[in-house]
Amino acid sequence: MSSPVPSQARTLQKLYLALFLRGRSSRGLQKDKAPQSIGRKLWGTLALYAAVGLIALTFAGQGTFALSIYLHAMSLVFLGMFIAASAGEILFNKDEAEILLHRPVDSRTLLWAKVAVLVRVSLWITCAFNLAGMVAGSLSDKGSPFFAPVHFISICLSALFCSGSVVLLYQLCLRWFGRERLDNLMTTAQVLLAVLMVVGSQMVPHLMIGMQGKMDPLANQTWLFLLPPAWFASLDQVLLGGGKPAAWIMAGTGVLATALVLGLAFGRMARVYEEGLQTLAESRPRKERRPGKKRFLDLLTDAPPLRWMLREPVTRAAFRLVAAYLARDRDMKLRLYPGLAPMMVMPMVFMVQSLRDKDGINWGVAIAAGYLGMIPLTAMTMLQFSQHWQAADLYRQAPVQGPGPFIHGAVRAVCIFLAVPAMALLVVITCFLPHGPSQLVTLLPGIIALPFFALLPGALEKAAPLSKPVEEAKSASRGGFMFLAVFLAPLIPALGLGARHFGMLSLFLLLEAALIAVGCWFLSRAIDRKAWDPLE
Amino acid sequence: MISLHRLTKQFGLQTAVDSLSLEIPAGQIVGLLGPNGAGKSTTLKMLTGMLIPTSGSATICGHDLLKEPMEVKRNVGFVPDSGAVFESLTGLEYLEMVAALYGIPAEAARERIRQFIAFFDLSFETLTDKLLGAYSKGMRRKVVITAALLHNPPVVFFDEPLDGLDANAAVGFKALIQTLAREGKAIVYSSHILDVVERVCDRVIIIDKGKLQVDGAPAELVAAHKARSLEQLFTRLTGGQDLEQKAEDFAKTFRP
Repeated sequence: MSSPVPSQARTLQKLYLALFLRGRSSRGLQKDKAPQSIGRKLWGTLALYAAVGLIALTFAGQGTFALSIYLHAMSLVFLGMFIAASAGEILFNKDEAEILLHRPVDSRTLLWAKVAVLVRVSLWITCAFNLAGMVAGSLSDKGSPFFAPVHFISICLSALFCSGSVVLLYQLCLRWFGRERLDNLMTTAQVLLAVLMVVGSQMVPHLMIGMQGKMDPLANQTWLFLLPPAWFASLDQVLLGGGKPAAWIMAGTGVLATALVLGLAFGRMARVYEEGLQTLAESRPRKERRPGKKRFLDLLTDAPPLRWMLREPVTRAAFRLVAAYLARDRDMKLRLYPGLAPMMVMPMVFMVQSLRDKDGINWGVAIAAGYLGMIPLTAMTMLQFSQHWQAADLYRQAPVQGPGPFIHGAVRAVCIFLAVPAMALLVVITCFLPHGPSQLVTLLPGIIALPFFALLPGALEKAAPLSKPVEEAKSASRGGFMFLAVFLAPLIPALGLGARHFGMLSLFLLLEAALIAVGCWFLSRAIDRKAWDPLE
Repeated sequence: MISLHRLTKQFGLQTAVDSLSLEIPAGQIVGLLGPNGAGKSTTLKMLTGMLIPTSGSATICGHDLLKEPMEVKRNVGFVPDSGAVFESLTGLEYLEMVAALYGIPAEAARERIRQFIAFFDLSFETLTDKLLGAYSKGMRRKVVITAALLHNPPVVFFDEPLDGLDANAAVGFKALIQTLAREGKAIVYSSHILDVVERVCDRVIIIDKGKLQVDGAPAELVAAHKARSLEQLFTRLTGGQDLEQKAEDFAKTFRP
């Protein structure tokens, strides 16, 4: 009897799950080593989500609807961030075209397999985050013993909705704006998604305060029908048997919206996806430049102050390399800019929130400046990883003692191309706020701390640009570090505000500048002393 | 077996393949030659369904490239010049995955994989224990060639297949494709190694800037153009003049 033929769909799902867990590239690894390394990181990530999910316990006393809407809102934020960060790589991997596009695989099957893996991993994350909430919802006085299984059904649906929406968004971008601008469109789409998620996450607390754990206030506010967390929380209510007509309508909207999104993404628009994949196999010629015309980067690096800052040739080369990747590399753009978007949006959210407060403008501007440091910190952390990491062997072939000059070049590129424009934007926005120019001084504590944040990743780890496989970026400890940094970022501006309140801002700024200078000197020395690790 | 009719591919304003028409019967090994950027890989990518032609048509084993892409793909094996593989799979996992995509039962696939690894002198342990990312370039190429032939396709496209193969494997591979052609497969062999093409191929097609320059048996083409060798004919047709002088001038720049 002949052995069964595995279906294409199952084969591809198995493939993509293996690729997700092991990463797409490996060097010198035996089979038993690779999956464990990524797998362990995944367990760490899930543990982190489970720990963050404990916050849900504070909503346990407010009844199942309040708990459910909180869980769904936060799950959609986390899922949206995860899917936005992973989808570009999973859906449009360039190497994959050479491996799979000439084989008899239907684009719909390929798409389903990828999304099935996205949904599966999304569910692991969501389940980890929702675990505490589901237990609390099932065991608390105002809860229901069936809350856990019912909520599991609704989070499955919301994971499908979230994945389908991202896929559909890409397909619509491809269809409306053409294939030529695919890379930039994907980056823009992911940045917008990230922004949407951050803004959404800021709305949740206000919503929770507004509804005070009751369903009734929701029924009178039709705009709530637009919010997916309300749909899926209502589905929980309906499945638990306590649904009012408004809940039935919203639950129905959730189910219908999910069906519609999936129907469009995997039905009518699947062909667009195939065209998008084929675009990746095409290499279009760059626009011709006028002879003798200098590139923008040449103009920039040949003129002061960069000419002075980049006297050291290796640092200068690393600066140019990083600048090129920031502007041109598809994979880098897809990971970096959506990752930076929350760091740009959070300050804006603080500024908008502080506008409501008559005297609150100080803290909004100051905290926003505090988050400026997160831009080079995040960028330096992400810039270490690249699909072309093996090309970084070139650094070792050159007669350079260690990764120091490469890290310094990357730090300067990140500061010039990302942090300085963000700082300028913040200054301009502050000037346009009521009493804005007088508030500019409150930006200083955040701005002074910026170089310290920029040097930190290079000093803590060997953050030589583009030198590590992208898979290593998926690390729970790195996620935890960033989480911590986001919470600590407003600390310095908060101290600055305190000093200003007591009329000691000048002294504070002097002290801060001195401490930051000493800190930067130590970090810079640590970077210079780093030596190359042996190759595997 | 393979039929191209005015096949064209444009990338923006640039024409990569310009109105290419030709017929390749079963049992023939056709060498596809051309300088870098001539349109060889683009032609192969169109014929394997990886790129959509801008205009023109092509059929493979009687199946239209645009109307029956799945049938075309079932009848085609392709070794891309990149040698791309999923690096975090083992060789065996990769080959079994490819076999499953063509609907080959697991047992039959395993048997065929054993035959290929015996031919290519690969150990089964390497195939099961090592991830493809840890393979040498030559070993990886052997896996890619195996993956292209697993489903026994009647048409095979090779884009620089010898890249990375050691001398023994290269000799074995050349004998293999000649045997496959004798058994009725149509083989298109794109390469820059002209003497190998001259020895292995029944017919040579030289394209430049997307256009067909010459098409015929290597010896006949050399004789018809009064060239000393295929190499000389190639450089003459594709604008590679004064190469020795250029090399000498360049080498002089290294003198202290």
